[in-house]
Amino acid sequence: MSNCPACHAELETPLACGACSALIDGAGSLDPFAIFGLVRGWTIDQQDLSQRLRRFGRLMHPDYYAAAGDAARELAEDNTAALNEAHELLSDDFRRADWLVRALGGPGESDERQMPQAFLMEVLEWNETLDDARNAAGGGPERTELEGLGQTLDTERAATMERIGAGLTPLPDDGSTALTALRRELNAIRYLDRARRELESLRLDDATAR
Amino acid sequence: MGYIELNVLNDETTTIAMGIDLGTTNSLAALWQDGRPVVIRPDGKHGKIPSVVRFPANGDLPLVGSRAREQAIVDPRHTIFSIKRLMGRGLADVQDDLAAFPFPVTENERGLLQIDVHGKLVTPQEVSSLILMRVHDLACRAMSGHEVIKAVITVPAYFDEPQRQATRDAARLAGIEVLRIINEPTAASLAYGLDQKGEGTVVVYDLGGGTFDVSVLNIEEGVFRVLATAGDTHLGGDDLDRALVAMIAEDLAEQLGADELADPAFLQAARLAAEKCKMELSASPRADLHLMVPDRQISYRRTILREELEVAIAPLVDRTLDACRRALSDAGLETDAIDEVVMVGGSTRIPSVQQRVEQFFGRKPHTELNPDEVVAIGAAIQAHILTGGSRDILLMDVIPLSLGLETMGGAVDKVIARNSTIPCHSTEGFTTHVDNQTGIDFNIVQGERELASDCRSLGKFKLTGIPPMPAGMPKIAVRFHVDADGMLAVTAKEESSGSTAMIEVQPMHGLTDDEVETMLQASFANAQADFDARRVVDLKAELETMQRATEKHLESAREHLDPESVADLEEALAHTTRAMQFEDPREIQRVRDSFEQATLPLAALLMDSVAKSALAGKKLEDV
Repeated sequence: MSNCPACHAELETPLACGACSALIDGAGSLDPFAIFGLVRGWTIDQQDLSQRLRRFGRLMHPDYYAAAGDAARELAEDNTAALNEAHELLSDDFRRADWLVRALGGPGESDERQMPQAFLMEVLEWNETLDDARNAAGGGPERTELEGLGQTLDTERAATMERIGAGLTPLPDDGSTALTALRRELNAIRYLDRARRELESLRLDDATAR
Repeated sequence: MGYIELNVLNDETTTIAMGIDLGTTNSLAALWQDGRPVVIRPDGKHGKIPSVVRFPANGDLPLVGSRAREQAIVDPRHTIFSIKRLMGRGLADVQDDLAAFPFPVTENERGLLQIDVHGKLVTPQEVSSLILMRVHDLACRAMSGHEVIKAVITVPAYFDEPQRQATRDAARLAGIEVLRIINEPTAASLAYGLDQKGEGTVVVYDLGGGTFDVSVLNIEEGVFRVLATAGDTHLGGDDLDRALVAMIAEDLAEQLGADELADPAFLQAARLAAEKCKMELSASPRADLHLMVPDRQISYRRTILREELEVAIAPLVDRTLDACRRALSDAGLETDAIDEVVMVGGSTRIPSVQQRVEQFFGRKPHTELNPDEVVAIGAAIQAHILTGGSRDILLMDVIPLSLGLETMGGAVDKVIARNSTIPCHSTEGFTTHVDNQTGIDFNIVQGERELASDCRSLGKFKLTGIPPMPAGMPKIAVRFHVDADGMLAVTAKEESSGSTAMIEVQPMHGLTDDEVETMLQASFANAQADFDARRVVDLKAELETMQRATEKHLESAREHLDPESVADLEEALAHTTRAMQFEDPREIQRVRDSFEQATLPLAALLMDSVAKSALAGKKLEDV
């Protein structure tokens, strides 16, 4: 971890100094792990992450620079925006894994569009249930069937994410072929999340209708 | 001797900023004073200023507040209420309001709403600015001697970009410097947090006069972090009143024709009768719904049972609970994860609203804070933080609706997702579709729907100056930045040529900078006169305070001062007495400034003796 350019104290986050409250420029070139003073890796302690967000937010939030000059206020805005963006990425397992795969030189979703083979058959079946639900507002498949689908999707997602986590612990080498398999698993997560969101919005509509 | 007097002599101008709750039905201001937020109560017991503006026929200055409200029934056509529902909206958005409003609303070619008052077209921004001016004026009087020109203004959390911008413009027209626009439920959570010292996961259910918001927050170690928010900017007490007005109209349908039922005088009277009845039903199980329009020979009376109101408003309460489900779903929480529910907004006084909320969340909501005041109190707390008063509290709010760009096919490419913590930024890459294309059109949209045409367009812009290249070669980065106020700025950049475009978004349903400028100039003559008059009052009050303090201390300090300083002071005191007759604020200001100069030696002496006596163990009072 580097030191504060103003007071040379050791920094917890490269965006601001906890000792002298200086705001430090350069958020643009930092990765989300560095912003939170964390070592790049799959495992994140979410409670620790929240604590860091609160602690670092206190160091750089624009609310505390409302009366400062334009330059300081803008820096506070930019650094806090970078902090928030990094937090959103680190607290979301899909986005974190996606970022790591890319950072290690693995394929993006437009380079590798495949999903794991075993997954495809199930997708067809789930799509059918979802289609039925969409087309028959209210009188579609039994609610229990939809709830069952929801549980299946949740379980499937957890299992897929676990495989991704295992693949990223420890981090594979840069450009490793394992990254392609991870991208395929991530494509599965993308599908699952879309289906879960749709199911959730059907559930909310259903609650409204009742 | 008091510390305040020393302060006056030293002229350590403390920046005072206020919090303003600019409400649909009532507005309210609060200030941070003596280490706590205090509601300003110009009328004694409550601080509510009705958000009503009446434009008199003879060209007199508009009336704002209780007096305007009292005259609503005599002059329904020119008495504007619930203007907040029109802020940043177009005609198509407010059809249900128009049917209930006794004043005519039109739209100009840019989708800006206008109300015709005595042949002059007034925008919602201008009407809101009159309300803000009134609130601000009363706050300044309450703090005589201080010029309170900075403010935190609250808006519903679910307000979109044009609605926030309209609020900002209203403040600008009122001559108020906006420190921050903050969300009403978030402000309320600050007041709740400070009052109850509560931590954990909290839901704020805010049913106001015209809008509904629900926010889910995590409060920990003084950090108030919004996890998700949802709402409806067209659902509030007004709609509950309309449910009762509909009952009246139904009863009178045989007696009155359609014309008479849409008559401004009838509508205004029915609305006020419904509101009164609704409020009484919160305190008693039955109330009279009584309507008299003498001019129209209408006299109507009916007893309404609390249960009848409950039935009539049930569909509206259902809609609030739908929003609660959405907010919880976005926060990824079930109701059992909620530690506390806080009720905000006058409409949460209705017993059936409280019951339904209790049922939904499975716990008794907090109702001990005054639901009309908590938002202004929270805004005052935030104003205190923003003026450097405290680092103990930190607000982390979110953007309520997703922001994105329209794609080639008319779909929406989301750039910033709803419920992202602000400030935030995100950059999206684009390229050209045909060879040698030198410009790209962008349409910025806000909303959750898949198609751009179903979302609200915030503005369109064109990035030009792209060097001719084969299709797909240029790399265009579009950057969205949402600041701590929740306001969006967009920049676009072509990376190979470095050509940039800072987007001047032409606001739909909003005022352009030029329009704001013109309005400011048009009202400048009047405003300057008002402003001068107020400034004179404030300056004189300040001078009096300074005069009293100086006279009090001069006697005892005289022998320790050099004769020149004493002469200066006596001359300054004489000038001050004369200045009390002046009417030009600039002249009074000059007297005040030279008086201040003359008091410097005295102030220094007093400071010195205070320090010495403190060291000698003497009491301050003995100095």
